[in-house]
Amino acid sequence: MSDLLGTQPKASSLSDRWGPVALYLLKRLLSGGLVLLAGTAAVFFTIQAAPGDPALAALGEQATPEAIAAFRAEYGLDAPLMAQYLRWLLGFFQGDLGQSLAVARGMPVGELVLQKLPATVFVGLFALFLAVVLSLVLGTLAALNRGKATDTIATSIAVFGISMPDFWMSYVLIFGLSLGLGLFPAFGYVAPGDSLLGALHAAFLPALAIAAPMAAVFARTLRAVLIETLSKPYVTAARSFGLPRPFVILHFALRNAMVPYLTIVGLQIRYILGGVVVVERIFGIPGIGSLMVDGAFARDYTVLQACTVVFLVIVLVVNIAVDMICALLDPKQTVR
Amino acid sequence: MTSFRRFMQNRTGMVGLLIVLIVALAVLIGPALIPYGPEDMDFMAILAPPSLAHPFGTDSFGRDVLSRVLLGGRVSLTISFAAILVAAVLGSWIGILSGYHLGWTDGVLMRIMDLLFAFPSFILAMLLMVLFGFSSVNIIAAIALVYLPIFARIARNTTLLIREEPFIQASRLMGRRPSAIMLTEILPNISAPILVQASVGLAFAIILEAGLSFIGLGVQPPTPSLGGIMSDGREYFSRAPWVLTMSGMAISVALLGINLLGDGLRDLTDPKLRERA
Repeated sequence: MSDLLGTQPKASSLSDRWGPVALYLLKRLLSGGLVLLAGTAAVFFTIQAAPGDPALAALGEQATPEAIAAFRAEYGLDAPLMAQYLRWLLGFFQGDLGQSLAVARGMPVGELVLQKLPATVFVGLFALFLAVVLSLVLGTLAALNRGKATDTIATSIAVFGISMPDFWMSYVLIFGLSLGLGLFPAFGYVAPGDSLLGALHAAFLPALAIAAPMAAVFARTLRAVLIETLSKPYVTAARSFGLPRPFVILHFALRNAMVPYLTIVGLQIRYILGGVVVVERIFGIPGIGSLMVDGAFARDYTVLQACTVVFLVIVLVVNIAVDMICALLDPKQTVR
Repeated sequence: MTSFRRFMQNRTGMVGLLIVLIVALAVLIGPALIPYGPEDMDFMAILAPPSLAHPFGTDSFGRDVLSRVLLGGRVSLTISFAAILVAAVLGSWIGILSGYHLGWTDGVLMRIMDLLFAFPSFILAMLLMVLFGFSSVNIIAAIALVYLPIFARIARNTTLLIREEPFIQASRLMGRRPSAIMLTEILPNISAPILVQASVGLAFAIILEAGLSFIGLGVQPPTPSLGGIMSDGREYFSRAPWVLTMSGMAISVALLGINLLGDGLRDLTDPKLRERA
């Protein structure tokens, strides 16, 4: 009998979940790859379909036909479209994103991207961390004190938060915490490799500016989901077994609220990255966002194309990661 | 009528509606009530702080900031509203087509929507602006394209929920054309979630438009827009913070109104979905 009990699979053990999760990961990677492939094609052909000539944009309106022809030959712009795309795709998979046409003329865009990527990833992750922490505190406080003053204050903060676009939030923070109290720098970037503390200090305002509106959205979601899970029978049951309230909240209510919460976090990555572009500009952070804006003003099509694709890759990676965490938290997800 | 009365009892929604109405009135008739035009320069009052004569102060050309914010607000709100209208109409159409016909129509349309949805919204809008130019129509088109997949998904999912309902089957058996069924039977029954999403989308569209204009890839000067005025204001932010602050607060007031109105509408259509994004 004890043998029988011993061989029973434990549904909640983590090791049992890896099998189906690995399969699910494979599926998600495959579909992510397809989206990436379609995405690169869409970006490439949209850029080709647009009015405006990259050669003219790089050389100026006064360029002679000979110079334009030479430029087109140099950058392979005279080949048939499909061949251009396939060559670009082949290069992309080898880490070659073409040469910059205007921002840093002739420089490999892949190198540019690698230079700028760490700043964006660092500030983006810092912002995501702040948003998650802020929203966990705010959302949980609101849900646990539903209808009380704490709830009203927390929900009001959240509504004001979603009414503050990140670029406007940036200046409120600069005005208050930088110019006013002198706590944080209003401009500049320190690489985390040079000094982690210095980097966190310099990136705090931009990260908070990006995080604040996101935290508001996350907190509203968490509050709603948590209120729902707190009213579930298993929470009442756990409480009636005499389990302490904080334990029940942490292990039953919050844990089950995590899947819908994380799903919203994953969806919001699209907006976080938009915030990154503007906020990088305001705080002078040398990231992909700044690079893309430079590319936009210089009409550097290879840089624009590369940045768009890089942002697409970031969205796909984050979404797959979020799906994996959800699948580990709730294996039922992987059955689909 | 009953739903209208229920909305009247929703305090959040009513406060939001009130703010939205005030903002709408301000941008529609406000500019006509102010003695200064948005382009009138007063070189005797350059970067003048807020006063009775200039409640929002003046900018580096001595232009009245209040007048510019109201007119810029009109431009920004018109663009955002038009973009969401286009996205809602086109998105509902695509979603209903997908949800009603299913099969390969659904497969093709929804994969296109998925692809659009995979791009970060601001990046996609920015790319389209650079490629196709900075006209108002292009800003509207870019923002509409970014929100298209959201409306399409909602319309498709709600259509799926009702497509087998008896009243739809009855119309089908009566031999009505699919296009007529979609327009007169399905559309009215899925309009509530579309409307709620439109209010949320309007807030995001305003942020998106302001962000584009702020970095200089949206509405081009001399046409004022909220993002453009903020961008002007940041150049002399430490000397004259009111230009940026007042235009920023104007955006926040408009967003606050729209968000509260959206919350109220959401409570009304589905209390269970409350605050689920």
